[in-house]
Amino acid sequence: MTSRPQLQSLIFEVTQRCNHTCRHCYNVWQGDAPADQTPYPRGELDSARTIELLVKALDETTCNHVTLTGGEPLLRPDLPALLDFLKGRNIHTTIISNGRLLDESSIASLLDRGAGLFELPLLSHQAEVHDHLSGAPGAWDAVLAAMANIRLHRGQFVAAFVATRHNIEHLYETMKLAFGFGARALMFNRFNPGGRGRDHLEELLPSVGQVRQALAIAESASTEFGLPVACSIPIQPCLIDTTAFPHLGFGTCAAGTNRAYYTLDPLGNLRPCNHSTTILGNLFEESFAELIAPGRMAEFTRAIPAICTDCARRKDCQGGCKASAQVCYASLEAEEPFLRMNRAVEPVA
Amino acid sequence: MSLSRRDFIKLFGASVASLVVARCNWQPPATPTVTCYDPAIPPDLPPSPPSSARERLRLLWLRFPELAQAISKGGDQEDTWDNLLGQEMVADHRLALDDLVAEGQLSSPVADLVHEAYTAAIDHTWRSNIPITCYEAVIVDYTPASAAVLIQQTQVLGELADQGTIDPATLATVRTALEHDLAYYALSDSDVNALYDKLLVEYQQSGEIVPTFEQLELELTPDARAAAQFIIDLLTNP
Repeated sequence: MTSRPQLQSLIFEVTQRCNHTCRHCYNVWQGDAPADQTPYPRGELDSARTIELLVKALDETTCNHVTLTGGEPLLRPDLPALLDFLKGRNIHTTIISNGRLLDESSIASLLDRGAGLFELPLLSHQAEVHDHLSGAPGAWDAVLAAMANIRLHRGQFVAAFVATRHNIEHLYETMKLAFGFGARALMFNRFNPGGRGRDHLEELLPSVGQVRQALAIAESASTEFGLPVACSIPIQPCLIDTTAFPHLGFGTCAAGTNRAYYTLDPLGNLRPCNHSTTILGNLFEESFAELIAPGRMAEFTRAIPAICTDCARRKDCQGGCKASAQVCYASLEAEEPFLRMNRAVEPVA
Repeated sequence: MSLSRRDFIKLFGASVASLVVARCNWQPPATPTVTCYDPAIPPDLPPSPPSSARERLRLLWLRFPELAQAISKGGDQEDTWDNLLGQEMVADHRLALDDLVAEGQLSSPVADLVHEAYTAAIDHTWRSNIPITCYEAVIVDYTPASAAVLIQQTQVLGELADQGTIDPATLATVRTALEHDLAYYALSDSDVNALYDKLLVEYQQSGEIVPTFEQLELELTPDARAAAQFIIDLLTNP
């Protein structure tokens, strides 16, 4: 008998629909797919079939946390029913939303149904910059109102700052704003091209110097406001010495390990992570254990850029985000954009 | 809330690990086995390597701070990623339990449950201390914000209001939320107790009866109770 895979968390993309058009969006179905690549499957299941999918995923794994994301998850009218189901299974939930539809009543309803944490974007302290990056006028006002109402109803949220050339200099003021509204943490994610973001790569990708400077600001502001900062998107230690920022948490790729964050799309297709276009198979057709068997994951987990082959840090760094390399350059072994664009300027140590 | 036997024993193990870690001031280990309680080694800890299976088992239940420290200091090292120390502790725990079963001190089903609790505790300690991956936001601290933080937030909101860029209705909402949080710190102990009493009455008036421990829907078998009691005795009655 095959043992059930242990998952730290499962990411479930409940819908591909969205009411914003973020320039940095990494959703794998967004953006102009190269002509030689098959477009990502589109669509979603009805409520009953979606619950069936979740039942199968949870029955076939050991998992006590599910992140509901999209697209914009609140565009699914049955989101409360999905939360009810997960609450009934004692599953902790995080909702990643742009905040647009999170009015006071929906927040109260979602909290009643067990939503444990909201992850909301806060891209600037300036409305016009946030709205421009979100591709949606009024987005900044809406997300601040959502944060205020979550706090009013005793919910918890973290603010996600995607660092691009347009907003990276706004980090300090944005952290201050997040703190004032009661964010429990800030996610500092350097722009990681994928999806629609691939179409804006050169416009948005910050330089290594800009990121280094922003990290110094985050380090200082984290102490000033007592605000934990997580830099989840990998930052290659050959480009920036991350040990210089002891108050910040730095993330690495966990794909293929028992800390992997497998991603289930609205049709039941399973991927190694939310950034990757690799479809391991459909959960309705095979078991979870079969889909993540080492043979299936081998291509993804073994890939590493040639330049990193002899590096002592290759196992934990893996060259950065290979999914971004896959989406932008059609190869898991390519140097991902942040490495490719910056190592010419900042030679690899 | 219904809690299955499996969930109960895992949560029990993780809770015990948290308590052991929380009460410990970690210092560099003086010996491979006596670690987190140095320099204040409890008098009940044996000065030399334990000879009995029960003592070995007890020491293993006290090694969570050492494991937590090793994981957080190990960073992205492969040994840490794979939790090799944790795996070693789990293997030692199984051996000690098998000895206890062989000596007739513990039944095999109860030993299996104790081991399930220990495995869950090791897993919990590892997950709580391993560096983040590229997806995890952050481990959120759900404890209430301190009074100092709330006062700092008040000042920041004042500055933001002066800038005039935020919708006044939104500012009013977040200020109301902040005042709710601040009000908690203005309460005396008797105020807090009165608040709890009021909540309890309101809860019961809404048709909900606060269950006693015995009334909780804990689907516990006698073996699960025995396993939990064994762990408590192990740590409190060496």
